[in-house]
Amino acid sequence: MQQTPRRILYSILLLAGAAWILFSADRTGTSTSGQIPAPQKGFLAPDFELKTPAGDSIKLSDLREQAVLLNLWATWCPPCRAEMQTIEEVYNEYKEQGFTVLAVNMTYQDNPLEIMPFVESQGLSYPILLDETGEMAKAYQLKSLPSSYFIDRDGMINEVVIGGPMAEALLRTRIENILK
Amino acid sequence: MIDLFRSLFAPPRHLILLLAALWIGLTLAEKRVERHNLTKDALNNLVYYGILGYILGGRILFVLGNLPAFSDNPLNIFSLNIDLFDPVGALAIAVIVGFAYGQRQKLFLWSTLDALTPFFGILAIGLSLAHLAAGTAFGSPTDVPWGMEMWNATRHPTQVYALIVGILIFAFVWFRNPGTFPGSEFLWFTSLTAGAHLFLEAFRGDSTLVFGGLRLSQIVAWLVLAAALFAFDRIRASKGQIPAAEGSSD
Repeated sequence: MQQTPRRILYSILLLAGAAWILFSADRTGTSTSGQIPAPQKGFLAPDFELKTPAGDSIKLSDLREQAVLLNLWATWCPPCRAEMQTIEEVYNEYKEQGFTVLAVNMTYQDNPLEIMPFVESQGLSYPILLDETGEMAKAYQLKSLPSSYFIDRDGMINEVVIGGPMAEALLRTRIENILK
Repeated sequence: MIDLFRSLFAPPRHLILLLAALWIGLTLAEKRVERHNLTKDALNNLVYYGILGYILGGRILFVLGNLPAFSDNPLNIFSLNIDLFDPVGALAIAVIVGFAYGQRQKLFLWSTLDALTPFFGILAIGLSLAHLAAGTAFGSPTDVPWGMEMWNATRHPTQVYALIVGILIFAFVWFRNPGTFPGSEFLWFTSLTAGAHLFLEAFRGDSTLVFGGLRLSQIVAWLVLAAALFAFDRIRASKGQIPAAEGSSD
């Protein structure tokens, strides 16, 4: 192709591209995530209400205005066990700033008799919740343990970390983000 | 079938797909390396140093950007957590390392990029498969018949769109006649990939929006497309008329 027709073709391509950018712009911001609860970064965290071993109920949506680390775990899962002490350390450090942890035990696939002895042996002070039916795990489309969801003060999932154990530095950077 | 695939390669297993793509891409690139006056060793070393730069650069830049988080426990610098990583910085470091290696070994830029094109093509396919497995780079809600259930809505299967386009672009670059000038394979790949991304981004449900609703990724793709077309034009202008005997459609 000769130079002039080639340059005309390139110009048409770029003009068409620019027009497509303007045409496909999302001026209302409604096409991008956020609107529907889903266990993925950028979405509203699916709500749930679960009981603690003491029988108290905690509902996620009641914790708006707080930054929440939602940690899904089981006693038979070594990386889950390995990261809980680190989570305890950062919980104590950041809780005064409006940070909390909800450690949801996958009770439906765990041995209920081992949960509290493990929690007590680790000296964990943050809330432990029991998912006895698997409904919460289903809502969060659980595929691997541990799974951690960093939820900001508006209830939006800011980051998802699948697998573990999470390093202290990783916890700190993610918590600083959801506390902003 | 997609559900089975997503279950099989759910995070963090989706990284297996990227590793497989790296290996297949490098193997295919090796097969054609001599066509570009490069040795297999030079290509392997270039990719090796690039990957090393990517891994180390991503971690180092993350640490530098979050120094206070590491102050209590500096050994976390060596943590196996892959989330302690700056992917954009990593890419920049990989490019710098690759460029520095190429300069040191006196590799010709355009020929080297041509030799790497099959590698990039397979990597793009692997990336779309990894996105599909992880549920990232997802589409916006839709009611088209081929919509896919993801994140509690029927969405454009943007990962599948990207996969199909990636395979078509790779096939085009792989099976077309050799380019008549150094850089043609790479520039074809870059311009087609940027053009496809510019088009497909419109169906994404996770775009970063700027300037009142424009999709940042489309703007970047448009700039890459413009740069590739400009490079095409400059190289062709400097080479003059293409000899018909070489039988290329460039």
